[in-house]
Amino acid sequence: MAVFEDVPAAIRRRTVTWRWSGVVAGVVAAVAATLTGALGRGLLLAAPLFGLFVLAGVLAGELSVPSPAGRTRRAAVAVRRATDYLPRGLTSAVALAAAGLVALLSMTTAMGSADDLGRAGRFLVRQCSAALTEGHGAWAGSFYSVPLGVVVVVGLAGAAIALRQVVRRPRPGDPADLTAADDQLRRRAARTIIGACGVLVAVPLIATSLVTAAGFLSIGCRPAWWTAAAWLLVALLPGWTTVLAWSGLAVLAPQRQASAHAGA
Amino acid sequence: MTALPLLTVVTDDVIPPYEQLRRQLAYLISSGALSAGQRLPPLRQLAGDLGLAVGTVARTYRELEAEGLIASRRGGGTRVTSLPAGLADEHRHRQVAEHAVDYVLKARRLGVSDDAIIDAVTRAVGESSPRT
Repeated sequence: MAVFEDVPAAIRRRTVTWRWSGVVAGVVAAVAATLTGALGRGLLLAAPLFGLFVLAGVLAGELSVPSPAGRTRRAAVAVRRATDYLPRGLTSAVALAAAGLVALLSMTTAMGSADDLGRAGRFLVRQCSAALTEGHGAWAGSFYSVPLGVVVVVGLAGAAIALRQVVRRPRPGDPADLTAADDQLRRRAARTIIGACGVLVAVPLIATSLVTAAGFLSIGCRPAWWTAAAWLLVALLPGWTTVLAWSGLAVLAPQRQASAHAGA
Repeated sequence: MTALPLLTVVTDDVIPPYEQLRRQLAYLISSGALSAGQRLPPLRQLAGDLGLAVGTVARTYRELEAEGLIASRRGGGTRVTSLPAGLADEHRHRQVAEHAVDYVLKARRLGVSDDAIIDAVTRAVGESSPRT
């Protein structure tokens, strides 16, 4: 059975320190974004920024694992794949949430209008009749969705880079002794990465769902499908909240699931 | 679970690392420890695990490919090929010759005579012959 302690203590300590540094820096960045961003933009970007810093912490931890330097070096003839380390259930849930966010932001961006100060994509406007127009803001149009989309895409690209490093980094010792324990270390890192992606995606998805549902329902002359879409978004909230809680747990305690997987 | 085949590189050996790797992989393939179709680790992964330059491992793979032992495909990785029987025999003989050269070089470094080197081989062959 894999004994995690087989991995040299210095390497375990270093990767854990980097991961927690990322979490702490992410919290600071999220708070700073919330306090400084204008018109709710900062609040919207807080979670993706948190995820970005966590990913940076994991990547730094993996990069800190040194290459073998002794005169005799050994390696196993085995191919390591990202799928060997990814937590399947959480990965599927986060991928679903990401697809949901893309679909929702595409719709809200397409429907957004300029607000009364001319800021594009910040308002939902409905022409009820020739003489009457109803509007609601804030709306998750391009004013919010473009910066959010940029941060989310950067975060997902960062996750791909971090995951590649998890797979490629050298084993910190003889593969005959610590393959199983080192794989456990990699599984923890992969779980943190997917957890960070989950936070990065689920918080904006929950916020956008709430804003969109409120926007649809606030328009008196709305078509029937707006009402249906609003209630569908509300109905999906418990699911997205579960993905968020699951992801948060993966970031803060990745050892729980990784150990269970290794022991299976 | 079957133990994975391991590769060992000794950095201060007279044989350069790419050649050490080539010989070990050729042996694993010819002996059947690595079967036809089995995928080899990507260059960067193996280079990282052994603390070698990517170019060193790339040279090993290039030479094994030239010998027909492995084949690389874009997007499909590097895999062990299935050798025709005649070619497999040729590889086995070549490896025996390489092992013999290694042994002779190491024994000479110990300062023993050529007769002693041959005697040791004869004794080893006798001792390890299958008993009837």
